[in-house]
Amino acid sequence: MWHIAKRELYDNLNSLRFALTMVLLLGLMLTNALVHLQEHPAQIKKYRASVAVALNALRSRTDLYDIAQRGPGLLYKKPSALGFCAEGGDTLLPDAVGRNDTVWEDGELKSFWTMKYPSTTPDLKNIRSDITKVDWAFIIGSVLSLIALLFTFDSISGERERGTLRLILANSIPRHTVLTGKFLGALISITIPFTLAVLMNLLVISMSSAIRLDAEAWGRLSIIFFLVLVYMCLFLALGLLVSARVRQSAVSLVILLLTWIVFVVFMPSVLPSIVSGFSPAPMTADEFQERIVQLDRELLSKYDNRLWADETLKTKQVRSEYVTRDAEIQERLNEKHLTQQIDQVQRARTVSRVSPVTIFQHLLELFAGTGFERHLQFLENAQRYAREYREFVIDTDNTDPESLHLIGVREGMSQKPVSPEAVPIFEDTFSLSRDFNAAAVDLLLLMLFVIVLLSGAYLAFVHVEV
Amino acid sequence: MLMTLIRRELLDNLMTFRFAAAVFITLLLVVANTVVLLKDYEQRLTAYNTATQESYQKLREERVYSRYAMDLIVHRPPNPLSIFNLGLDKQVGNEIAVYHAFVPTIWDAVKHGADNPFLNLFTSIDIVLVFQGVLSLLALIFAYDALAGERERGTLRLVLTHPIQRGHILLAKYISAMLCLLVPLLISLLLSIILLTTSTTISLHADDFLRIGGIVLTSLLYVSLFYLIGLCISAMTRRTSTALMLCMFVWGVLVLVYPNLILTAVDIVPQPNTQISAYHQIKQMWEELNREKKLFLRNDTVLGPLSRNGEDWGFRLKGGEYSFLRDEDKPSTLLYFYQSGFYAGKIKAESEPHVPLVQNYYGFHNREIVSTVNRTWLVRKPALEAIYVQPANLGQMLLKFSPVGLYDAATEAWAGTDLEGIQDFFSTVQRYRRAVVDYFYDKKIFESRQWFAADEGTADWDALPQFAFHRSDTDINAKRALPDMLLLLTMNVILFTVIMLIFIKSEV
Repeated sequence: MWHIAKRELYDNLNSLRFALTMVLLLGLMLTNALVHLQEHPAQIKKYRASVAVALNALRSRTDLYDIAQRGPGLLYKKPSALGFCAEGGDTLLPDAVGRNDTVWEDGELKSFWTMKYPSTTPDLKNIRSDITKVDWAFIIGSVLSLIALLFTFDSISGERERGTLRLILANSIPRHTVLTGKFLGALISITIPFTLAVLMNLLVISMSSAIRLDAEAWGRLSIIFFLVLVYMCLFLALGLLVSARVRQSAVSLVILLLTWIVFVVFMPSVLPSIVSGFSPAPMTADEFQERIVQLDRELLSKYDNRLWADETLKTKQVRSEYVTRDAEIQERLNEKHLTQQIDQVQRARTVSRVSPVTIFQHLLELFAGTGFERHLQFLENAQRYAREYREFVIDTDNTDPESLHLIGVREGMSQKPVSPEAVPIFEDTFSLSRDFNAAAVDLLLLMLFVIVLLSGAYLAFVHVEV
Repeated sequence: MLMTLIRRELLDNLMTFRFAAAVFITLLLVVANTVVLLKDYEQRLTAYNTATQESYQKLREERVYSRYAMDLIVHRPPNPLSIFNLGLDKQVGNEIAVYHAFVPTIWDAVKHGADNPFLNLFTSIDIVLVFQGVLSLLALIFAYDALAGERERGTLRLVLTHPIQRGHILLAKYISAMLCLLVPLLISLLLSIILLTTSTTISLHADDFLRIGGIVLTSLLYVSLFYLIGLCISAMTRRTSTALMLCMFVWGVLVLVYPNLILTAVDIVPQPNTQISAYHQIKQMWEELNREKKLFLRNDTVLGPLSRNGEDWGFRLKGGEYSFLRDEDKPSTLLYFYQSGFYAGKIKAESEPHVPLVQNYYGFHNREIVSTVNRTWLVRKPALEAIYVQPANLGQMLLKFSPVGLYDAATEAWAGTDLEGIQDFFSTVQRYRRAVVDYFYDKKIFESRQWFAADEGTADWDALPQFAFHRSDTDINAKRALPDMLLLLTMNVILFTVIMLIFIKSEV
C-alpha cells in the first residue's frame, strides 16, 4: 500500500498540476495574510476605542437611578483574531447591541434602558461590486476543492485508459489496498502545497507585531487544519468514486466539474435565497415600529389617569410599575423581532447544509469566531450581561435600607452613590466548548459525507471491470 | 466542404453527455435563480410603491413650505433588468431627500423597505453570474479536446490528407461549438423571459428586449473567448488530459480566483486623505454663513432682539407653534448643513408687524444657503469622486484583466445597473432639486408668508414640479457597454489569430 501511495506521490510531485497548485495556493495565502495585517489592527483599534467610550460613560455615573435608567450604553462585539480564516460576512452583521439614547421622557419619568438590536444596513456608500473575500474558507472551500478533483479525476480512469490498472491488479494486491494507496497518495500530495501555503500565511501573520495569536488561537487553528483535511478527503473520495465509475477520464472530469460548480458555487447562494424567500418573513422595520407605538399607547392608556394623580407613595408605586412594565414589553418585543429574523436565517442555513462547502464554511466560521453562529453567541453574552446588570441594580437598591425600593422612579430608589467599580462590565467572550457543541451537527454531517463517499468509491472500485 | 465539416463537428458535440449535462444544469440554475430574483424584484417594487405613496401623502400633510425639508423625498425604482445583472441596483441607497441645503448624491441616499438584515449574509446570484460560471466552463469543456483529441486519436492526420485548408478546419470547429453553446444560452434566456412575462408586476418594454439582446451578444463574445482560450490550450498541448487540466486551472484562475483576489488586494492600496481637508472647508463655509446670519439678525433692530442668541427659532412671534431643525454632519460623506425653521398655525395680530421682517429674513437667508451649497458643491464633488469613485474605478479596471470583469461590466451597462446607470438617477434628482429651487425663486416662496405660517393660504404642493425618472435610452446603454464589448472582441480576434498561427505551424 505504501508503495502505491509513494508511486502516486512521485507521479504527482513531478506533474504540472502540482506546480500550478503550489503557485496558486501560495499567492492566495500570501494575499490573505497581507490583507489581514492591514485590516485587523484597525478593527481592534476601533473596537477598543468604542469600548473605552462606553466604559467611561458607565463609570461616570454614580447615581443608582441614572445607572438603571441609562444603562451600560452599547455593548460591542469583540473582533476575532482569526478573521483571516473565515470572514463570515462580519461587515454585514451589527457589531453592537444595546441602546444609547433616551426613548421617551414624561416629566420626571424616563424610559428604562432596554436591549435593542440595531440592524446594520450594509454599507450604502460602497459602490464596488460584491466579492467574496479571499479568506481560508474561500481558498479551501472553493479553490482547494477544485484542485482536489483535478488530482483525482484520472487516478483510476486514467490508469484504465493507459492500461496500467490491469497491470497493477494482476499483482497479488487486494483492491482496497490499491484504492487506499491512491487515496493517501493524492491526500499527501495536496497536503504538501497546502501546508506550505498555510505555514507561510501564519508566518507572515505572526511576524507582525500588531497581531498576537494566543494559545487558544493556535488550538483553534489546529482544529481548522484538521477540518481542512477532512474536507479534502471528501473531495478526493468524490473524485475517486466518479473516476472508478466512468471509463474515460475526460468524462469523469466533466461530471466532477459540473457537480462541483453546482454544489460549491451555486448551491450555497441559491438554496438559502429560495428557502428564505418562501419562508414566513419576520416583521418589517415599519411594522415593528408600529407595533412598538401601539404597545406604548396601550400601556399608557392603562396607567394614564393614575400616573400624575398626586404625589403619594401609591402613585409613585404606579409610576414605578409603569416604567418597569414598559421596559419589559419593549424588551420582549425586541427579542421577538430578533428571534423571528434569526429563525428565518436558521431555516435557510439548515437547508443549505446539503452542500458540503456550506457545512465546511459554517465550521470554519465557528472555530474562527466569526459569522452568524458567533453573532448568536455574542447576543447570548449580551443578554446574560443585561440580566446581570438589572440584578445588580435591584440588589444594590435592596442593600440600602433608606430606599423605598421603587425601581424606575428617582425618589423611590437608593440615593447612595454607587462606586464605579461595583457596576458589572460587559466582556464578550469566546468559548471553545460552546463552539464544539454548536459544531456537532456540522461535524457529523461532514464526516457522514466523507464516509458515504469513501465507501461509494470502495464499492465502485471493487466492482470495476478492467 | 466547410458545411460538411461543421455538420460533422455539430453532431459530434451535440450527441455527447457533456452537452446534455451542461444544458440541464444551465437550465436548472437559470430557472431557479429567475424565480428567486423575480420574487425579490416584486418585493422591492412593492416596497418602492408603498414608500413613494407614503412620501406623497406625508408631503401633502404639511401646511407650510419650509417643512418640505422633512418630507420631500424621492425614491429610486428597482430596475427590472437587475434580474439579469444585479449590479449595484440593490446595494446602494434608494431613497433621497430633496432639499435646497444640500446637493443630493448617491452617498446621501438611504434605503427604504429593508427586511431581515441578516439575509444580507447570503449572496444573491443573477443570471449573468450563472452564465459567467457555467457557460465558460462548458466552452472550455467543448474546446479542450478539439485539436489535442483529434491529434491523439490520429483523426487530424486523416482530415488533413484531404485538400482542406487548415483555417477551414478551425473555422468549422469554432462555428459548430458556438452553435452548440448558443443552445443552453438561448433556451435558458427564453425560459427566464417567459417566467418574467408571466409575472404581472414586471413589464418589459421594447427597449428592454433590445437591452437583453445586448446582454446575449455580450454573452456570446464572452463564451467565444473562453472557447478560444480552450482551443489555444488544445492546440499547444499534445495530450487531452493535460489540455483539460490546464483549461481547468485557467478557468479557476480567471473566473474564481482573480476577480476575488484582485478586489481583496485593492484594499491594501492606501486611500487618499482628501476627506478631512474637504470636510473642514465645507464646514467653514457653513460657519461663515452662520456668522452672516447672526450679523444680519444683530443689525436688524426688530428681529435681533426677537431672536434667541441669533437663532431664528420662532422670533417670539405670537402664534408660533413649534420650531424645528434639519441638520446633517457626516464627515464620511462630506455632508454638512444646518437649517432651522418654525411653524405658525395662526399668527396673532400683535405680532403681525413683524411678519414682513421675518419674510425678508428668510428670503435673504435661503438665498445665502443656496449660494453656499453651490460653493460647497465645488469642493464636495471632486472630493467625493476621489474618495469613492476613483478606488471603485481602480478595482473595476484591474478586474478587466479577466474576461469575467469585462463581461460583468458590459452586461451591467446594458442592464443599467452599473455605477453610471445608478448615477443617472441621482443626476435626475439633482436636476429636480434645481427645478424646485428655481420654482421657489420664481414664485418668491422663500420670502413668502407660507414659508412658515399657515394662516393666509397654505403651501400648494401640487404646483411643485413633479419628479419623474426614466432609465437612460438604449443607445446610451450601448455606448457604455461598447468599450468592454470591443475589448472582448479584440481578445477574441487576437486569440483566433494566435490559434491559427499555432495550428498552421504545428506538425501532425
